[in-house]
Amino acid sequence: LPNFNVLILTDETEFARLLTACWQAERQAPAITVLASDLWKEHKETPHDLVVVGPLLDVKVSEVLGALDPACAAILCAPADSRELGQLRSRYPRLVHIPLREDWAQTLLLVAGESLRRTEALRLARQAENNAARNEHCATLGRYMIDMKHSVNNALTSMLGNAELLLLEPGQLSQQSLAQIKTIHSMALRINEIMQRFSSLASEMREAENASQAETQVVTPSEFQRR
Amino acid sequence: VQKKVLIVDDSPSQVRLIQGLLQPEGYDSIGLNDPKRIEELITREGPNVILLDVVMPERNGFQVCRELKNNAKFNGIPVILVTSKDTPSDRYWGEQQGADDYVTKPFTREELLRAVRRFA
Repeated sequence: LPNFNVLILTDETEFARLLTACWQAERQAPAITVLASDLWKEHKETPHDLVVVGPLLDVKVSEVLGALDPACAAILCAPADSRELGQLRSRYPRLVHIPLREDWAQTLLLVAGESLRRTEALRLARQAENNAARNEHCATLGRYMIDMKHSVNNALTSMLGNAELLLLEPGQLSQQSLAQIKTIHSMALRINEIMQRFSSLASEMREAENASQAETQVVTPSEFQRR
Repeated sequence: VQKKVLIVDDSPSQVRLIQGLLQPEGYDSIGLNDPKRIEELITREGPNVILLDVVMPERNGFQVCRELKNNAKFNGIPVILVTSKDTPSDRYWGEQQGADDYVTKPFTREELLRAVRRFA
């Protein structure tokens, strides 16, 4: 929780005070920002992990929800008989409603904790997907290099071998030809060295692919909690 | 008596090259581009050692090696895999097929001769 940013948006001071106090009484609390609706209009671009919307005077809840980042979780504290609620729920399926009853603050803390954990799980999933995509690109390149290496090695065998055959009888060659064949021979050896380095790189890429597969394995809820 | 070496590779230029490298050392080499005919050629020529490529169409070198080593008529002939497949797993797989030695392409003349001299 300490790594999360929570915005409490309300025009009712008592709502914000009570909720902040309850949160701070917990063992772990997120970073909390409290804004009234007039100030929120000036800072609505600031990203948060969770927005708790309490009673508002100067702004409509739909306007607040419409301005939120899609990745941001939202909890609305409103009376259960709020007329707006049905419409809001259909437009924003991720919106969680906490009825303003006696125990609203404790319920909200529980729901907020779960919402933040869900946000974190989604963030990790997106990160894993990005890593997997990046590693997949590397693996594709690695596989291509391994395929090409076979053809290059065959061509190099011919270059190296034929150069060696010519060098077996140096007396039949002019000094210039001899020097040129020696150059071809040494360059073929040099290419072979470079190919060996590519082999190491291809192995590393294969390891990256394995790491990627491990990263995208299904994680059980208990394991996720442990992490 | 000249020692006979059977060279099996689907690439005629590779066969010619290996023949060229072995000839000055006094080896009598026979080239074969079609691995399906290897048993026929072994029976006819009786080679002392076989140099076998791995990546070949229809019948790869690993298959050929395994089948030769499982055949009592041919399993006494040393088989050297000569291939561009150079990863440790390729080498391990070659050993599992019963290959007697493993030479990776590109090889130097000396590397090839060292492997052949072990057996012929």
